[in-house]
Amino acid sequence: MQNWFSENINFGILISTLLLVLIGLGSIYSATYDAGASDFFNRQLIWAGIGLVAMLVVMFVPFRTLQLLSYPLYIFSILMLIAVLIFGKTVAGSKSWFGFGTFGLQPSEFVKVTCVLALATYLSDKKINLSRFKNLIVALLIVLIPVVLIIRQPDVGTAIIYILMLIPVLYWAGASLTLLLIIISPAAAAVAALFGITPFLIVLAALLITFFVLKENKLISAIIFSITVLVGVSVQFIYGKLAPYQQKRIDAFLNPEADPLGSGYNVIQSKVAIGSGGVFGKGFLEGSQTQLNFIPAQWTDFIYCVPAEEFGFVGSILILILFAYILFRSINVASTAKSRYASLVTMGVVSIFTAHILINIGMVMGIMPVIGVPLPLLSYGGSFLLSTMLMVGLLLNMYINRKEY
Amino acid sequence: MTENVTYHSRKNVFYVILGIVFLVFLGRLIQLQFLYSEKYGKMSSENAIRNVAVAPLRGYMYDRNGILVVDNRPAYNVTVTPVEFENKNLELLTEILKMEKGEVRERIEKGKKYNRFSPVKIKRDVDFQTLSFVEEYSGQLKGVEYQFEPKRYYPTKAHGSHLLGYIKEITESQLQKLGEFYRQGDIIGASGLEAGYEKYLRGKKGFELITVDAEGKIIGNYNDGKSDIQPVEGDDLELTLDIKVQALAESLLSDKRGAVVAIDPNDGGIIALVSKPDFNPELLSGVTPLNVWQQLNTDPTKPLFNRATLTNYPPGSTFKMLLALAALQEGIIDENWRVNCRGSFTFGNKVFKDMHVHGPTNVVEAIQRSCNVFFYQLMLKTGLPTWSRYGKQFGFGTPTGIDILEENSGLLPSEEYYNRRYGKGRWTQGYLVSLGIGQGELGVSPLQLAAYAMVLANEGKYYKPHVVDKIKEKENKKNIKIQTEMRQINLKKEVWKSVREGLYRAVNVSGGTGASARVPGINVAGKTGTAQNPHGKDHAWFIGFAPYENPKIAICVLVENVGYGGVFAAPIAGLCIEQFLYGEIIRNKLNQPKLILPKTETEQIRD
Repeated sequence: MQNWFSENINFGILISTLLLVLIGLGSIYSATYDAGASDFFNRQLIWAGIGLVAMLVVMFVPFRTLQLLSYPLYIFSILMLIAVLIFGKTVAGSKSWFGFGTFGLQPSEFVKVTCVLALATYLSDKKINLSRFKNLIVALLIVLIPVVLIIRQPDVGTAIIYILMLIPVLYWAGASLTLLLIIISPAAAAVAALFGITPFLIVLAALLITFFVLKENKLISAIIFSITVLVGVSVQFIYGKLAPYQQKRIDAFLNPEADPLGSGYNVIQSKVAIGSGGVFGKGFLEGSQTQLNFIPAQWTDFIYCVPAEEFGFVGSILILILFAYILFRSINVASTAKSRYASLVTMGVVSIFTAHILINIGMVMGIMPVIGVPLPLLSYGGSFLLSTMLMVGLLLNMYINRKEY
Repeated sequence: MTENVTYHSRKNVFYVILGIVFLVFLGRLIQLQFLYSEKYGKMSSENAIRNVAVAPLRGYMYDRNGILVVDNRPAYNVTVTPVEFENKNLELLTEILKMEKGEVRERIEKGKKYNRFSPVKIKRDVDFQTLSFVEEYSGQLKGVEYQFEPKRYYPTKAHGSHLLGYIKEITESQLQKLGEFYRQGDIIGASGLEAGYEKYLRGKKGFELITVDAEGKIIGNYNDGKSDIQPVEGDDLELTLDIKVQALAESLLSDKRGAVVAIDPNDGGIIALVSKPDFNPELLSGVTPLNVWQQLNTDPTKPLFNRATLTNYPPGSTFKMLLALAALQEGIIDENWRVNCRGSFTFGNKVFKDMHVHGPTNVVEAIQRSCNVFFYQLMLKTGLPTWSRYGKQFGFGTPTGIDILEENSGLLPSEEYYNRRYGKGRWTQGYLVSLGIGQGELGVSPLQLAAYAMVLANEGKYYKPHVVDKIKEKENKKNIKIQTEMRQINLKKEVWKSVREGLYRAVNVSGGTGASARVPGINVAGKTGTAQNPHGKDHAWFIGFAPYENPKIAICVLVENVGYGGVFAAPIAGLCIEQFLYGEIIRNKLNQPKLILPKTETEQIRD
């Protein structure tokens, strides 16, 4: 028995996850301590308990059962997503919640899990070939259906996460780089064009370099490049034609923190928080920036500032190491797993985690635009914590079943 | 196995990308926490950049002629930043501010709980002397500053207290409920238009990033103010109000208790809405001294109570037209149907009185002379269900939906109501007789009666009463015209004609009860009413409209506990109509004989 456990349980990932949850709880406690908002801490504690149980359950679900359940769960969660648009509760401008008394549920978080499962199931089918147009479209639809529904809420941050999950998974499933470029470059150009002319030009330059490195066919390169330029320019053109207040809406869409306190302010303050932490930090509950005031809703998207200020470089780097460990270790599992399904599920979860970490920590450090995306396992938010722990459960499950075909 | 080989090469791509991401993060951490940690540490310990909210100007309000009725003027608040404030200075501060020590301490504690780095307002609208003291002791009083905040100012003679409303400091429970936009110490609309249009009037807060030195002194704006967010002024309201009529009505009721509601019969716009006694809204803009609050709340005349929309009194004879309209429209009677009035009416063992012996009277004459006996009989003939159905059509028993939030639905009894109240079969027709003359279990507000006068004036168009005509949005530079809601009460042309003729005669033909509402050069139509009141003298009512041919104003006047409607309410209505239609009071210039008011005033007489 002892042997079975050490053989099949990935203690490294399990312990890293638990440590990150504990760091998150401590940070939320600190961030809300001064305001007497222990409510946040208590709720997160309850959710962490629920999440732990859910994680263990998912971990031990039989491999075949999980595969069989993938499609039904996906369809059920999409129905939830439609239901929330009709019956949901509006919180901070987004209709993304089901309210049950004081607890709320956000279906879009759980769709992340089922979407990964469905996509993995589809792509692991031997008959599926991504170079066939029909198969590619189905794979895209599995992700784009929830994306469209989530954009309607509207919750652009979460929608971006789905796209950032799709591309690596397609790549892992064997899509050619040309195919990926056709998908990525117009989308990247459209988003970059909204942020301004310089980001747009950077995207174009990156595209040219990629063509050069990949020694891509000249005709195909030219077509992809022209489409990308066309999309970018028309986005800029349409944006320019909009009334100022409509432009403002788009700006706020891309940059929700800009309103009403200003993203510039948040980023200054989060940089001050991180920087002032120094090497060893100011000590638990001693972070003067942290105590609720300088960064609005710090316990959600800006949670990383808290350990960074109170535990300095030591605390900041510990969190990065724990995340990096989970991600690198999981990629390793994915590359050795015997079943294509297990491999793809693992990479789906890895991609979602990476997208969250990249956007969130990048934003908090002031090197990425401010997009409202929480940090896995640390940020306050019940549905998000629960869905993240479900995904860790999947990682652990895939590890147990890595030798299954 | 080939699969794992491809995975292997792809794995390296992922390793490289993730590696780059984490290396960038590591580099940034080293940059922030090693290289710049001193700079950021200093900024943090000095709390070098402070985020100060800049209060926007609250939206202005203009009357229908473009006269500014609600304005802003500058005021200064003294604030304390809790984290910087030293408790040993508490005494000095309270002395300068002339406040109770406990109150100052409590305010600082409250602010500390919310955000100890953010300035909390200690005293609003301080005088110049206090301000100069604060300035003088600024070296000693760390964390004590002052900030500019606009205050409400009312440039006209009118108070408009219940209509325009007042503002107050946000309460803790409101703060928890409304969240987001508001902070402790913010101002919020508490009643009237200020509350109803809070969302528009409040504007958008600005934020200034202010750099301060180690002593907490302000050095200047961070980044030359480029990172500041400018406040957006609140949206202006263009009202249907005529502030001169409002002021006149207020002065006419100055020593009385009562209400005036005047309404434009062409769109339902409120011309004036007065409730007396009232209060000076300027006293309630911001922090209201405790003694002022106590005085307003314990005053037995209830100055905070909006009599124009919240009273619930029987309408008296002003309700007779409703019965007449119902009976004529349903064909229960025609214009020639007569009742021989002998001065009283006996039903069962009860005697219902009238003021005069009117003799044979038809419907037009009955309205003109306010014959009670006619309407006692007509009520029995028409019956409760029909009467109640028409009452509902005219908006009685339901709130009008006016845009100043507080209003009463009133009481319009139906068979159901009596069954519930007395039990089925346990009430008789006798209960109904007095409803015919607007007495008994019946309650209306002056606003509802004014709306009813409007419908009589325009022959059936019920416009939803409203005060705001247009919202001038500041941010998008758009004007939002408030859509007027209208429903048509369809009655036969002759029916309206008869009833309106009765109203015309009631004011203009001798023997009419509303003669004192006359206005030189204009034909006024109207009806007086006197409501029985078990607690004292009767309440005087008048409703009317003018000009008769082409109505531009409909009005309802209520004066509480004075007696006769024709004596006390009708002249007020006449003057308001005159002011509205001429833009001034002309009768004094015309050298006309003064109005002669009837001198008799007998308790049991119903006009």
